[in-house]
Amino acid sequence: MITKTAWKNIWRNKIRSLVVIASVTIGIFAGVFAVGVMNGAIDQRIDEVIDNEISHIQITHTDFRSNNDLACNIKDVSRLEEYISGIEEVQAVSDRLFVVGMANTARKSTGVNIIGIDPDKEKEIFGLYNELKPGTGDYFGDPDREELAYIGFDLAKNLNIIRYEINDNVIDELKSAGLPAEILTEISKFSGERFDNERSFKKAMRSVISAKNESGYGKLILEKSQTFRERAKFTLTFVDSNNQLTGGVFRVGGIYNIPNSMFESGQVFVQDRILRRLIEFPENTAHQIVIRLKDVDDTRSMTKKLRTDFPELEVLNWKEIQPDMAMMSDFAGVMYGFFMVIILAALAFGIVNTMLMVVLERIKELGMLTAIGMNKKKVFRMIMTESVFLSLAGGVSGMVVSWIIIKITSTRGINFGSMQEGFEAMGFSSHIYPDIGIDFFLIVTLLIIITGVLSSVYPAFKALKLDPAEALRTE
Amino acid sequence: MKVLELNNVHKVYNTTHIEVHAVNDVSLNFEEGEFAAIVGPSGSGKTTLLNMIGGLDMPTEGRILVNDTDLSTLKSSAIIDFRMRNIGFVFQSYNLIPVLTAKENIEFIMNLQKWSRKKRDERTMELLKAVGLEDRINSRPAQLSGGQQQRVAVARALASKPRFVLADEPTANLDTKSTETLLDIMEKLNRDENITFIFSTHDARVVKKARRVITLEDGKVVSDKTRR
Repeated sequence: MITKTAWKNIWRNKIRSLVVIASVTIGIFAGVFAVGVMNGAIDQRIDEVIDNEISHIQITHTDFRSNNDLACNIKDVSRLEEYISGIEEVQAVSDRLFVVGMANTARKSTGVNIIGIDPDKEKEIFGLYNELKPGTGDYFGDPDREELAYIGFDLAKNLNIIRYEINDNVIDELKSAGLPAEILTEISKFSGERFDNERSFKKAMRSVISAKNESGYGKLILEKSQTFRERAKFTLTFVDSNNQLTGGVFRVGGIYNIPNSMFESGQVFVQDRILRRLIEFPENTAHQIVIRLKDVDDTRSMTKKLRTDFPELEVLNWKEIQPDMAMMSDFAGVMYGFFMVIILAALAFGIVNTMLMVVLERIKELGMLTAIGMNKKKVFRMIMTESVFLSLAGGVSGMVVSWIIIKITSTRGINFGSMQEGFEAMGFSSHIYPDIGIDFFLIVTLLIIITGVLSSVYPAFKALKLDPAEALRTE
Repeated sequence: MKVLELNNVHKVYNTTHIEVHAVNDVSLNFEEGEFAAIVGPSGSGKTTLLNMIGGLDMPTEGRILVNDTDLSTLKSSAIIDFRMRNIGFVFQSYNLIPVLTAKENIEFIMNLQKWSRKKRDERTMELLKAVGLEDRINSRPAQLSGGQQQRVAVARALASKPRFVLADEPTANLDTKSTETLLDIMEKLNRDENITFIFSTHDARVVKKARRVITLEDGKVVSDKTRR
């Protein structure tokens, strides 16, 4: 009866209750959706790190990570790999050579990590082969050509391998992509001219188009104007196992494009056998063994097992290699909790205010209820139930709205294209697919109920303090 | 059988400068089945006396015994429970719960007393029939006239078969016809259910119907007349 009466009571003043419900709905939606976006971005980043950059577990010589000395290597790699492959939880294993060196073109040079890989084995562990930028070649597609390298898009830009040019084809493409005629006319002034790097191209564009048009169409013009000479040459220089400076001429086999500028600009993949030959490295020896597990949840237990199995080597999992990711992953839940608590605390004040008004408006009625025999416990419960109903009605509708919006955006994604550079500099994709687990919804429901209960305490105490005889005299 | 006994009851309100004797040395007894009116001018202490009889207020001095239970010995939570089981209230401004239907308003106390659904339904229908509102069972207070609302309030007061009903100016907001109907209903219920009714009023129509009339002046009983 109390529950039924409480439910009916919240609809006495429909507009006021709807305003409270709407504010809770908007608050919950804002919180849940923001958490969904953050969670999606973090999950994407973690997937990206595991799938393209470090996998689940890496094994190295104990000193290799601190000094990158070629002499700090793993011997008898094939035996180790065979053993690890035999573990049920392991999906794939591969070994790598790892050399720090310089990448050079005629115009530019930059420091890079040169990673010697077996392209086929790597495909079982990493998804980087899928990240090939269309039109830039392939992922070690020509096995007869040893000198091919797979490099990042940002490195290609840094080495001036990617250039910028406005020509008839570009004009046609921009026209069909909807670029306004006046901008086309302006940029046509540079027809036939070639720019070595993004900076000089942007500078030229800014001289003919407005800042507003640049922010609207600059990215499109930049993308369409990129040119690339297939199999462009560059050299890699490094120190071999005898501490002699050496190197080789390589050709860009393909360019990968991932949402991590730092990785893109620093990692060059070449075939294991050519790097081994260039650094004069013995067979059956490697710097790194990378392991992909069938289930990411086995990471901790497998790390422990491998540490026991290979005490002379360093076994690190992805959380240990990238502690920032681990922190994000581990504390994301806590951060979301804090975030929601702050939002709910703000909403609680609105609910307290409303419930206080409810009590003040119903002093006479509450006096009558006490007079006819409704004890204080029941009065308290009724006010509390009303408050919980108000919070829950808003909370549930907020969660339904959030769920629908997250469902829609989780398949389409949200494109923060205008902030792409910033996102990618931090290693995040600018196209985010919001995602939230059912457990988060359950926690939010619980938090809403707690908010409702806490918000009702003060107004309910006010109701308890009423003297029925005095309350009945109230007009 | 005596249902209510007031022994030398005083109620003094302390204002900033003076003491106000709202009820001054009142001693009264009420028997089961009485239909009594407490009359007197405004400020004579009618409502204060009724509030003390109903346990909503405590006397400064003296004792009030309901069925031999001294109300002043009960804790505040026990008094509420005692009220629920023994006393029915009818208020001047009806005081129904606006979001509940006539039926739900009447059932409210039975619900608090955890009556079974069957028992509740039977009693509610019996009372709605008695007050002539069986066709307005699902109407909310706002859909009823003042007279009809007060009839629902009477039915609510009688719902849990209390020892007595206290009605504070029950006809003050009603027109002549509604007053007559309400008084007839209360008189009939008093007779049929043998429940004591005590009114505070200055409505001559109520006084005319009452079988006992107690007159208060300045908090004192100045006359107590019983009619046959």
